[in-house]
Amino acid sequence: MKKERESFLRNFIEAFTKGDIFTKLSILIFGTGYVARGQYVKAVILQIVQVLFFVFTFGFSLNYMSKLGTLGTIQREEIFDPKTLSKVVNDYDNSLMILLCGVIGIIFIFLYILLSLSNVKACYELQCLKKDGKHINTFSEDLKDLFNHKFHITLLTLPSIGILLIKVIPILFMICIAFTNYDGDHQPPTYLFTWVGLENFKTLFTSTSTVTFGYAFVRILLWTLIWAFFATFSTFYGGVLLAKFINDKKTKFKKLWRSLFVITIAIPQFVTLLLVGKMFSDYGIINSICNKIGLVGFLQDIGLVSKGLSFIPFLSKPGWANVMVLLINLWVGIPFQMLSATGILMNIPEDQLESAKIDGATERQIFRKITMPYVLFITGPSLVTAFIANINNFNVIYLLTNDYVTTNMSYANSNAKEVDLLITWLFTLTNDYSNYKMACVIGICVFVISASLTLLTFTRMIAGNREEEFQ
Amino acid sequence: MKKKIISVLLSGMMAVGMMAGCGNAEKDNTQTGQDQTTGDEAGSGDQGTTQASSDDAIANLIAATTDPVELTLWCSETEGYQTVMAELVEEFKAQYPDVEFNITIGAESEANCKDDVLADVESAGDLFVFPDDQLLDLVNAGALQSVEATYTYDPTATNTPATVEAASIDGKLYAYPMTASNGYFLFYNKNYLSEEDVQSWDSLLAAAQAQGKTVGMEVSGAWFMYGFFAGAGLEMRLGDDGKNICNWNAEDTKFTGASVAQAITDICKNPAMKNCVNEDAQAFALNGEMIADVNGTWATNAFVEAYGDGYAAAKLPTFTVDGEQVQMGSFAGYKFLGVNAYSKNPGWAMLLAEFLTNEESQTKIALATGEGPSNIVAASSKEIAEAPALAALSEQAEFADLQRVGDNYWAPAATLGQSLVEGNYSDVQKLLDDAVAGITQ
Repeated sequence: MKKERESFLRNFIEAFTKGDIFTKLSILIFGTGYVARGQYVKAVILQIVQVLFFVFTFGFSLNYMSKLGTLGTIQREEIFDPKTLSKVVNDYDNSLMILLCGVIGIIFIFLYILLSLSNVKACYELQCLKKDGKHINTFSEDLKDLFNHKFHITLLTLPSIGILLIKVIPILFMICIAFTNYDGDHQPPTYLFTWVGLENFKTLFTSTSTVTFGYAFVRILLWTLIWAFFATFSTFYGGVLLAKFINDKKTKFKKLWRSLFVITIAIPQFVTLLLVGKMFSDYGIINSICNKIGLVGFLQDIGLVSKGLSFIPFLSKPGWANVMVLLINLWVGIPFQMLSATGILMNIPEDQLESAKIDGATERQIFRKITMPYVLFITGPSLVTAFIANINNFNVIYLLTNDYVTTNMSYANSNAKEVDLLITWLFTLTNDYSNYKMACVIGICVFVISASLTLLTFTRMIAGNREEEFQ
Repeated sequence: MKKKIISVLLSGMMAVGMMAGCGNAEKDNTQTGQDQTTGDEAGSGDQGTTQASSDDAIANLIAATTDPVELTLWCSETEGYQTVMAELVEEFKAQYPDVEFNITIGAESEANCKDDVLADVESAGDLFVFPDDQLLDLVNAGALQSVEATYTYDPTATNTPATVEAASIDGKLYAYPMTASNGYFLFYNKNYLSEEDVQSWDSLLAAAQAQGKTVGMEVSGAWFMYGFFAGAGLEMRLGDDGKNICNWNAEDTKFTGASVAQAITDICKNPAMKNCVNEDAQAFALNGEMIADVNGTWATNAFVEAYGDGYAAAKLPTFTVDGEQVQMGSFAGYKFLGVNAYSKNPGWAMLLAEFLTNEESQTKIALATGEGPSNIVAASSKEIAEAPALAALSEQAEFADLQRVGDNYWAPAATLGQSLVEGNYSDVQKLLDDAVAGITQ
């Protein structure tokens, strides 16, 4: 990576120093290099891009970028005129827009610099071609090239723009907010917020009797990882086992079973979770059944349920709720894994299984030594995805534990609860308490965890030759 | 390789499936970016809101309005509200035949109003109905157009003083009072309970227990639990510095915080007592198990249906602290109609808000929704004042406090409530100290 960047710069310097006047000029006026070599259409296109950039920057984003340092100084003021029922509003600063448009403006400048550097290089290449008397592509030939041996560029353009728009800009924006005091007391457009440096990160690791973010953060992070681990592997093994049972030669009505489980996918998760949440609530149907058959009394006798409760706190006490969300997650998660596992199981090389049988391996040995390693290898990347998805599994936790009230004051003081994942905590902070700055700090933590886990596991999983091994 | 692609695709779908549905519900919101500045026409004249000058102002406004007026009104999604608002809006349009209106009524649950308005105040409804507990946050975010002048009637004179106070901050009115029945009281079934029974928690629970029935209240809800501490004379309110002031852990008051906490725990220990939320209480009432519940007017229809001819309502009962009977307090609750400070048509929005909250409209809204009006004349009309729920509310009114509470109250108070309900704390003073530290942080 570093090498590439260095050679990019070196190439540019070489191109710039060796280039003739047109090539040199093309760093200021994009089109010149192309005009000199007869590529007029390309010259016009690049010139338009350059003009558009200047119009965008000087007409729009510069205004915002210049205020980035303070994030605005003029607060909104309005004067209402009772005689005409109209009002006059001053030209106020909107910190949020300044930050957003400022970030976008900077990204565009960065892209512009990259473009101008590579533009000089491209012009220098053209200059060399012309000097050597080689053929210079016409515009239509260039276009054709984009569909032939430069097809990868055509293919990657759209996704790259998409990633920039829906990933890079929001992430940069979010990272910026983590360093401001954007919260309920500083809400744009009426009020301004400003930079506060590392203040919020300090808060995240502070534990006093009232500021308990440090206390809550460590515990919620731990629970998030525990949850992601168990939620991923329980549904994965459950799915593989289920697929194996359905695939078994002795199982009858295979299609019926498979369809039955697929139905649970067909019902929206939202509906399932809300219904199941109601069923397991303190006064829900499960509890009234348990009460009737005396299960609640029995659990109280053996000490699993405290005497003060007249119900089993399936989703309302720490411990109980943590286990229940994992169990309920099986219901919504296993069918998905079953579907993908079914496909894989059907494709296990028959010869391997046959030879194992001839060698006298038992069903269990075959499952452990051949089936599982094969499935694990194939589904490795998807398991990582599932793990990350589970770290951010908002639906299951939020819909099931919406009514959960913590009895631990240290959690309550930072608006958290024992069953929260980082993502649901973040949601409560923004949605109920407008505490955007802390939510962004937590968001960064989630991002760092997800990104590093993904990178680590993917690089190890598909590193080097391993990808080819099984093909 | 193909298999791998499929498995990656499937897991990708799974991840997408998990994300799906997280987004905000789409809102009916058809605001157009119409900029209208009528400020240039500012005429000169006397200050004040005399009849003549306000007529002039409206005439000015009509004259200055050339384009169709686009307004969005957010109100509760319930059928009662949607129909009555649609009717009233038509009447409003008929009042100004020369102006073309384009008024959209959006369905917005009142409980979420603040969150959705603050999510993007510039594209929120021009007018919205919201409960009084959201006033502070909305004002703090600068989302409300203050009522600086009125044209058709004077809300500060026609509504009850308590409502006007609730809609004002530092003496400035920020919204138009609409209903005054958003507090809580006791629903009960008079086939099982006598009027004497519902006077105190002791007799209420004893009567229920004797008949094998239950009584409900969301004791662990911070909003409801406030009634116990407030009734015993302890204090919890928002101070001038934006932090809460709370002395629930006091040891030098007539009733100490610890005694009140003990009293709450004692009530919850009674097997007839059920700590449950609104939906559960309604379900229990419907299946005949629960014969009394602390709840609000939003549940009226459910309890009328559940109790039939036994349906009755009363002020909150007294409870026992240190051997003495103490009347429970409560939060008084109101609903206001607010005008968005970022409305493109502030003048028309304010006129519409006035129209929707005048005496006549309040009566219609009360009849359609069963909620009590804040207008003094409308509230005293016979068919409204005699509804049991509203009668109980006005009985409770003298013990009810204005709700001025900072955000830091809710989570620690709910946690305190949950602990008191379960009663498995060892040191009640420490519990209260921790809660107060959290509330006042």
